[in-house]
Amino acid sequence: MTTIEDPAAPIQIPVRDEATIARGERLRLLVRSPGFILGAILVGFWVVCALFGAMIAPQDPQADDILNKLVAPSGDHLFGTDRLGRDVFSRVLVGAREILITAPLATLLGTVIGTAIGLVTGYYRGLVDDITMRIVDAMLAVPVIIIAFLAIVARGASRLTIILVIGFVFSMIIAKTVRAAVLSERELDYVQAARLRNERSPYIMFAEILPNVMGPVVVEFTVRLGYAIFTIATLAFLGFGADPSIPDWGRDIEQHYAFINGGIWWAVLFPSLAIATLIVGINLIADAIAQTFER
Amino acid sequence: MDEKQRRVDEVRRESTELENHLIDEYVNRKISRKELMRRGTAVGMSIPVLSFIAAACGGDDDDDGASQTGGGETTAGAVQPGGTVRVALIQPTTEPNPLLVQDEGGAGMLGATGEYLSFSDENLELQPRLAESWEPNDDGSVWTFKIRSGVTFHNGAPMTSEDVVATFEKLINPDGGSANAQSALGGVLSAGNMEAPDETTVVFNLDAPNGNFPTLVSSANYNAIIIPADLDPADWGQTFEGTGPFKLQSFTPQQGATFVRNDAYWGDKANPDTVDVKFYAEEAPMIVALQGDEVDFVEHFSVAGGKALLDNPDVQVIAIQTATHRQLHMRTDKEPFTDARVRQAIALAIDRNALVDGLWEGLADIGNDSPFAPVYPSTDTSVPQREQDIEQAKQLLADAGAEGFTVQLDTWDGFEIPDLAQLVKSAAAEIGVTINLNITDAGTYYGDGVYGKSPWLDSVMGITDYGHRPVPNVYLTAALAGDPKLGVWNSAHFKNDDYDELVRQYVAALDVETQKGVAKQIQELLLEETPIIFPYFYNFLSAAKPNLQGAVSAATGQFDLSKAGFTA
Amino acid sequence: MGRFLLKRLGLAAITLFLLSVIVFFGTQVLPGNVGRRILGPFADQAAVDNLNERLGTDRGLLTQYWDWLTGLFTGDFGTSLAQNVPVTELIGNALVNSLKLAAFAFVLVVPLAIVGGVVAALKRDRLTDRVITIGGLSLSVVPEFVSGIILILVFGLWLDVLPVSARAPTGASILTQLEYLLLPALTLVILLFGYIARITRAGTIESLDADYTRTAVLKGLPRRTVLKRHVLRNSLLPTIAVVATQTGYLIGGLVVVETLFNYPGMGRLIVTAATQKDMPLLEAAVLVVGTIFLIAMLFADLLYSLLNPRIRYSGAE
Repeated sequence: MTTIEDPAAPIQIPVRDEATIARGERLRLLVRSPGFILGAILVGFWVVCALFGAMIAPQDPQADDILNKLVAPSGDHLFGTDRLGRDVFSRVLVGAREILITAPLATLLGTVIGTAIGLVTGYYRGLVDDITMRIVDAMLAVPVIIIAFLAIVARGASRLTIILVIGFVFSMIIAKTVRAAVLSERELDYVQAARLRNERSPYIMFAEILPNVMGPVVVEFTVRLGYAIFTIATLAFLGFGADPSIPDWGRDIEQHYAFINGGIWWAVLFPSLAIATLIVGINLIADAIAQTFER
Repeated sequence: MDEKQRRVDEVRRESTELENHLIDEYVNRKISRKELMRRGTAVGMSIPVLSFIAAACGGDDDDDGASQTGGGETTAGAVQPGGTVRVALIQPTTEPNPLLVQDEGGAGMLGATGEYLSFSDENLELQPRLAESWEPNDDGSVWTFKIRSGVTFHNGAPMTSEDVVATFEKLINPDGGSANAQSALGGVLSAGNMEAPDETTVVFNLDAPNGNFPTLVSSANYNAIIIPADLDPADWGQTFEGTGPFKLQSFTPQQGATFVRNDAYWGDKANPDTVDVKFYAEEAPMIVALQGDEVDFVEHFSVAGGKALLDNPDVQVIAIQTATHRQLHMRTDKEPFTDARVRQAIALAIDRNALVDGLWEGLADIGNDSPFAPVYPSTDTSVPQREQDIEQAKQLLADAGAEGFTVQLDTWDGFEIPDLAQLVKSAAAEIGVTINLNITDAGTYYGDGVYGKSPWLDSVMGITDYGHRPVPNVYLTAALAGDPKLGVWNSAHFKNDDYDELVRQYVAALDVETQKGVAKQIQELLLEETPIIFPYFYNFLSAAKPNLQGAVSAATGQFDLSKAGFTA
Repeated sequence: MGRFLLKRLGLAAITLFLLSVIVFFGTQVLPGNVGRRILGPFADQAAVDNLNERLGTDRGLLTQYWDWLTGLFTGDFGTSLAQNVPVTELIGNALVNSLKLAAFAFVLVVPLAIVGGVVAALKRDRLTDRVITIGGLSLSVVPEFVSGIILILVFGLWLDVLPVSARAPTGASILTQLEYLLLPALTLVILLFGYIARITRAGTIESLDADYTRTAVLKGLPRRTVLKRHVLRNSLLPTIAVVATQTGYLIGGLVVVETLFNYPGMGRLIVTAATQKDMPLLEAAVLVVGTIFLIAMLFADLLYSLLNPRIRYSGAE
């Protein structure tokens, strides 16, 4: 999945079911699902690496040893060495940090802004809604990778730019999902009741409706997180990563993929597996969450 | 007095002072055979005469500038006539317009159908093309080129001296000429200073004496293909009008071009029927295409991207020694680099042998902190090579009272540059200096290309890429001259009157011996001052299928496939 | 139906107009002076100003936008700054390439994914289902640059059975062209299979559980008929929507695949135009990709409403 867009097909989740299943019960179901457990183990592993990678790593991921470059995996270097003689194993461990900073921040930014836009447009409807949704549709007609690419060419490839642009594009996708949920929610009794009590609109939106659309929001967040990782890795592969002096999976793959046809596979395989396992883990979690909300 | 000596005397009588000086240098073993050939062609002596002199006046055969590895030498002769040669070329960045081209892919397109006055080959020797011969006056301030007669453009119109003059007038036109051609001819040749007294003679009146002028109007100045006088260069892309052994069949921007044999060519007709060029945006697919037998010739590849080719016995790797290099500048007017000892210390910390082996698989020459690359005949190779010496570096830092400082190194993300930056950083760490890397994209690093608006020219420390030049003059002036009008790329902000005077002498010198003498002094001065570290000069690499013979590439992007063909 | 169609077209037109505004003003943020970019960093400032005047890039943005927009309506998309040929020529070539690859990938992946999705739904929660869903998911999260490289290595170099670049020699037959396109198309199949199969599976399960299916089964209709008439038709609805949403990506977003296989499609065209600050080319190319996406979405909407009458009525309000 992932660099793929699916703006028009937000995940379908029935929203109002918290009356039937208590929140705690849902959580219990969730942590018992095998998909969630496997996903959590995978993601948990990489989170630990991101936090403590520098301590766990057997060697300094930046320590070059140019005369021992591109050495095949061995006891000294579990995953071999890269083109500067750096330890691939250490780089894979430490490389988790960069992507686990940028991707969640970008997704969080997109989720917060997208939820706010979705709440406001879905609640008020009318002209604001129409205009916003047309703009969102227009933006989403252009592939995410192209928008991200243009922004990076314009502003230079900094970590901040990457977070901002991915957050920006995701906010529109998430806004559509949240808006759809709010549209059905606003017609329900509890919203009408709040209106009759003369509650102020921001209160109704954020205190009354928001908790009831958290399901789709959480699912969107996890799904988008997978996309964010994929997109950031792709940008790095295209040579638009944040900082070439920080270990980064996508960039390491880009820098070594030309070596594969010379029989040097380790410098590409391990970072690729790292990206794949992280995204699989996140998707398993997203799946499990979506299923619990469906029940 | 034998027959040989009689003929040598004859040659000498017919030769100019400059040419006789060159022969003296060779006879006295001051220059090698290779240098004789190179310098001889540059001052206008024909290759048969030079070969005769070389053989008659003794001298040993030294190494050849070009070498082949991988597939090894194959026996020539069994080349089949005709055929289609498929070429992988890096995608040109601009339209095909002789004035605008400033990249390798574009130069390749110009050279595909166009011809130059002469072709600077892999040994930096000039082979006559549209000029049959050339000759300077006594001080080298006026050069007279004899233009080949009977040459026609692909449209059938005759090519004459008028076209040559018109071509160069367009290139050096101060209002809208070729920025790239002017970087070589600026201050050498001015608009209006060319004459065409008859159809086969062109006289260039130079701004100042210049012993390297023929090189500056050869293929090394890749914009300088001769085009019809009445053709607007902006329309060149529609017809690729030229005089070369191939003519355009079709061109599709951003995809490729097809060329066919020009049966009206003035010289030996091209061997291949067709040359099919495909553009590639990236290197890796080119290399895979060669391995997958979808192209026969990769015009250029890098060591980093083409490791698979270097180790492959089924690929011919053609390596050409060049002056392409990186400059690691240290601002001589800014702390901590105001003290020459600090600059020397950084230079001493770097293990150049490891760089050449590690980054370039040995396919590079070690630099000695001056622009005098080993490939240049004027370089004095007796100047001692700077080697890594951590102890001395530490001592120098201690003497300068500059231990343990931190500095930022600016550069951009391309080629092997981030790797070099990383390796410089680790080298500096060994002598207690902390370097923080600030690696941006090319646009950010180069900025507006003027002082005050460009990290390239303003940063305290930085790494800049420089392309191959057939003579070191531009490196010596633009990158190091104290006069702001000359030193437009002086990122080290180096200002040294002795140096400027030496460079003036060097540029004016007409013979190798004098040049070498000045070069030695410049090399020693730059080693002492070290405003810029020149870690290496790397080879230009092309690759061909083992059954393709006779493919020639120039380090400037052009390729000549007229003699190419496939063995059975 | 007429009103529904009209409304959809109207909305698409408004979206398209907004897209043109966003594209035009969005690309203006790219740094760098156009004249400077063409003439290089070492050209004279006067020459740069001169060129900017000639190109009209020194005028007000609104004037430039208006001229651009009116030009689009008369079929004048402008001239590429870097290549000095009409933008339409460059986009035409690239678009044909992109459409070929996208169509081929769709033809391969859609039937495969629908079969996979339906089979998974019918064998729900059993091993076949797990293999298809988990396998598809795992394949689709492998970045294109990894799967593409592996395909090149295995089929192009080691087994040496397929071409490694996507472009067939000029004048090649359709069959040869498809052979050249097979590896890049397979890369996209790997990427899309799991995704489309998942949606089909969900749609099938939903319609299997739906009342009309139960009714049909209770009526005693043969299983095969029920599947064909009730389940398949309804499960295809979300699949159509998903396939349509992929069009934009497949036409303009294949930067990585086009790079790996040296295929001059729209993705690479946009990337090249952006890095060269070739504004007329960039703007037109992005607009074309966006327009195709909007058309595909419109088409999917219409198809959706044709297949599912309920949507038509509610959507027509």
